[in-house]
Amino acid sequence: MTLARFVRKNAFRNKRRSILTLLSISFSLLLLTVMMTIWRAFYMSDGTSESAERLIIRHRVSLGQFLPIAYRERIRSVPGVKNVVNQTWFGGQYKDDKPENFFAQFGTDPNEIFDVQRDFHIPQDQLEAWKKDRAGCVVDAELAKKHGWKIGDRLNIKGTIFPFDLELTIRGMFTAATPTETVYFNNTYVDEGYPKMKGFVGFFGVLADSPESVPQVAKAIDAMFRNSDRPTKSESEKAFNLDWIAMLGNVKGFILSICGAVVFATLLVSANTMAMSIRERTREVALLKTLGFTRATVLALFMGEAVSLAALGGLVGALAGSVLVYGMARSPQMGLFLTGVTINAPTMLVAVLVAATVGVVSSIVPAFNASRGNIVEGLRHIG
Amino acid sequence: MSTAMALNTATETKVVQARNVSKVFQRDAFQVKALDDVSLEIATAEFLALMGPSGSGKTTLLNMIAAIDRPSSGELLVLGQNVFRLSDGQSARWRNQHIGYVFQTFNLIPVLTAFENVELPLLLTKLSARERRDHVMTALKLVGLEERVHHLPKQLSGGQEQRVAIARAIVSDPTVLLADEPTGDLDGRSATEILEILKRLNQDYHKTIVMVTHDPHAASYAHLTRHLEKGMLLPA
Amino acid sequence: MAIPLRYNIRNLKLRKSATIMTALGIALTVTTAIFILALLAGLNAAFRLSGNALNVLVLRKGSNAELAAGGVDRDALPIMKDLPGVARDAQGEPLVSGEDLLVVVLPRNDGTGETNVTVRFLTATGIEMRPETKLVAGRWFTPGQHEIVVSQSIHNRFAQANVGDTMWIGKGPWTVVGVFDAGGTAHDSEIWGDVNQLAADFDRTFYNSVLLRATDPVAADALKNRVNDDQRLKLNGMLETDYWAKQTSSGNPIKFVGMIVAVIMAIGSCFAAMNTMYAAVAYRSREIATLRVIGFSRPSILASFVLESVLLSLLGALVGILLMLPFNGMTTGTNNPVTFSEAVFSLRMTPSVIGSAVLFALVMGLFGGMAPAWHAAQRQILASLRD
Ligand SMILES: Nc1ncnc2c1ncn2[C@@H]1O[C@H](COP(=O)(O)OP(=O)(O)OP(=O)(O)O)[C@@H](O)[C@H]1O
Ligand SMILES: [Mg+2]
Repeated sequence: MTLARFVRKNAFRNKRRSILTLLSISFSLLLLTVMMTIWRAFYMSDGTSESAERLIIRHRVSLGQFLPIAYRERIRSVPGVKNVVNQTWFGGQYKDDKPENFFAQFGTDPNEIFDVQRDFHIPQDQLEAWKKDRAGCVVDAELAKKHGWKIGDRLNIKGTIFPFDLELTIRGMFTAATPTETVYFNNTYVDEGYPKMKGFVGFFGVLADSPESVPQVAKAIDAMFRNSDRPTKSESEKAFNLDWIAMLGNVKGFILSICGAVVFATLLVSANTMAMSIRERTREVALLKTLGFTRATVLALFMGEAVSLAALGGLVGALAGSVLVYGMARSPQMGLFLTGVTINAPTMLVAVLVAATVGVVSSIVPAFNASRGNIVEGLRHIG
Repeated sequence: MSTAMALNTATETKVVQARNVSKVFQRDAFQVKALDDVSLEIATAEFLALMGPSGSGKTTLLNMIAAIDRPSSGELLVLGQNVFRLSDGQSARWRNQHIGYVFQTFNLIPVLTAFENVELPLLLTKLSARERRDHVMTALKLVGLEERVHHLPKQLSGGQEQRVAIARAIVSDPTVLLADEPTGDLDGRSATEILEILKRLNQDYHKTIVMVTHDPHAASYAHLTRHLEKGMLLPA
Repeated sequence: MAIPLRYNIRNLKLRKSATIMTALGIALTVTTAIFILALLAGLNAAFRLSGNALNVLVLRKGSNAELAAGGVDRDALPIMKDLPGVARDAQGEPLVSGEDLLVVVLPRNDGTGETNVTVRFLTATGIEMRPETKLVAGRWFTPGQHEIVVSQSIHNRFAQANVGDTMWIGKGPWTVVGVFDAGGTAHDSEIWGDVNQLAADFDRTFYNSVLLRATDPVAADALKNRVNDDQRLKLNGMLETDYWAKQTSSGNPIKFVGMIVAVIMAIGSCFAAMNTMYAAVAYRSREIATLRVIGFSRPSILASFVLESVLLSLLGALVGILLMLPFNGMTTGTNNPVTFSEAVFSLRMTPSVIGSAVLFALVMGLFGGMAPAWHAAQRQILASLRD
């Protein structure tokens, strides 16, 4: 036996209590892991390297207002711009308004969309087939799998923003690093279906020649249209996504307060367990000291116990959290907010470290008291 | 001859030297005088039985010797050391090396096997796992429990538990063995077994033993019996 | 025979630190649950309170949002004014309001960036049709002027939304002349201005929506059908209350994440409560045996411990409710996916929210207490007395 083994034996001395504590801590840490992952996905990820080279150009006021298609060639002329493609959010309904049937539909230009979205891959023959069919569309392969679509299938989408419906044929499937839940169709469909929109598009996607030139390109484009009656707002794809998240409300505050509540709850649970188990062992502490264990050793023994229990709970929680994140990322209720989000090792490590810290903090007072306790009193303790 | 010189020469043969030791416990408004001006010398390899009615201060005196409690007044040297000058950490280490303590209620750790319970004090030493194993087995053989090495305390009888406790007390080869009513919770036969072991430890291994007991039969195993009454040590 | 409640209360007091820590843990869970429920209650209230049962909202066919492209031709307004069942005001004018919507970008005053805000353009009749709306500062906009009034919560949440400030809307600056309170409805997220001034600026030929007031609820239903069936109009009429009720879907992500959070925290707290109750049972095993010897039955032991656990969780609920009270009424915003603009709402600790929180704690207490209580009741008397 070693002292470490002694700690381990003690940690599971009262098996039921240790397991209940472990479960309680792991459920809390599961939440913490999920919240940290959402935080990371929203605020800390840099996206793919291609994403860092992309900009979104939209109407300064809102996505709901349109830009003239004529802007496209003017944007192309800006130094640093490699490719430009127009995209229009159709916002229609597939089948019904249930969240699981929700996905994005964009009217766009088949000739250039995959030159801007370079991290999307589509077989050349499928792309050619789409270019030839004005009523054709290409779909995210993941989305197709979810709905059981095959190439050649018809896709009927009811317009809600626009007063007409789309009757599309699937001509191809593209793959992306993370699921996009997106269908692209030819924007001429919109021009013909709703003549008032002819000449107008929702926004532009731009591929810059390097990530470094993104800020200048954005500035140059906005400057170009500043005094027109449709001014633009250009920003990196990442900034655009953050705007989107900011619209959800005070997400940061929400996540932080939940994390705070969770950590505090874990602290209470762990402290309660340690207090109970240390109190029960008053006599044993006195015995250890009679055998010659110093205060420091006793302190270390108890804190080691709390830390190993809490850290184990953290590990279990982090593992369970990765399963939950997997489920949430695919859940229709979340809309497009968490698509493709997964847990990474540093997040799990942080969860375990947080748990271990909670173990230290929660045990320090009872363990300190135990280590300071009078041996004579301890030996006289009954119970 | 001066007193100081006398003390010095005595040090070599005396394990315990208590002079006018008193201990007062403060309990709320009450003061309890657990030890009242006790002076006592215990020689090396002595086997002393300490008797007296309940509450007479026997455990208190034992605790003083083990340096887990300190006198209110008076002077106490154990193995020539004024143990109360030691810091908390030092006295813990000192106890680990020099004192073995056997309790009436055994105080084994329920989640540890007999072997692990005995090994516990050795975890504080620098011994290798192999050396620890040898020491533990020697101690367990001495108390006749080599067959029960991997049993948990609850799988042992009371007498066997106490034998494990004795093995734990002697495993680090201390000079002094303190036993507080070691047979108090045991039946006659188990008690005799324990007393025989203590006697052997005293005779063959020259351990100094101080044993608190209520039982005259147990006291008969000792060389010497002293009586405490209301905190006062009666003349020998 | 039941064991008196006093016994449980004394025991909870006796093991003070365990009681406090467990109750606090439960309180945190309850707090989180209340927070989420109050958020949803506020959001639902904003949409549910919006809309009058007598009002019929008219949009273009196929559209289900006011902000969709295309709308109701201005020429259709006179036709609708003459439909039977349309109520009239004191002057005999039909209560029909053609309205336009725009979205503007405003900087938040807490520095967290910009948000889209809906601007509604209407006439005095439109204001009159929403009697819950009261002016709290300044005055209403003057027809024919570039003037706007902002809702109280926009006034609070955004920079440049004070009386006297100007905002760039469409082609020019509009001056803020007043602040209104829409009584917790969706209009609390809006800015209002003159519809005719907007039409003049933009040369618009249609309204985004038209609001009709019916004389009574039955007439409202009839009016809705009449609009839908009228071949000249080709429009889509719906009860205004139904329209807003549908938009509660903007709370879906909050609801979904919130429920997951609350349930997981509740499970965690359940385990913690179980722990405390098991310890209580172990601590009192002799006592329980003694009670059994005296003649208390197993069911009464079981009931007593379950009750104690429930008591513990109710204490937690109480603390949780008290912790959340200061946040009652706090306003916050989320995105309305239908309009792509902000929906402002406030945290509402309604009686039903509090009721659900208490129920939630009760369930936690029951689950946490059941197994330990069962364990206590099943122990053999002799076994308990021996240890
Ligand atoms: N930690 C303490 N606090 C207060 N009083 C104490 C303490 N320890 C001992 N006493 C008191 O000191 C007196 C002597 O106690 P001690 O335990 O030494 O008696 P004992 O001779 O060992 O008795 P027993 O045979 O019952 O074990 C008793 O009156 C006891 O109440
Ligand atoms: Mg005693």
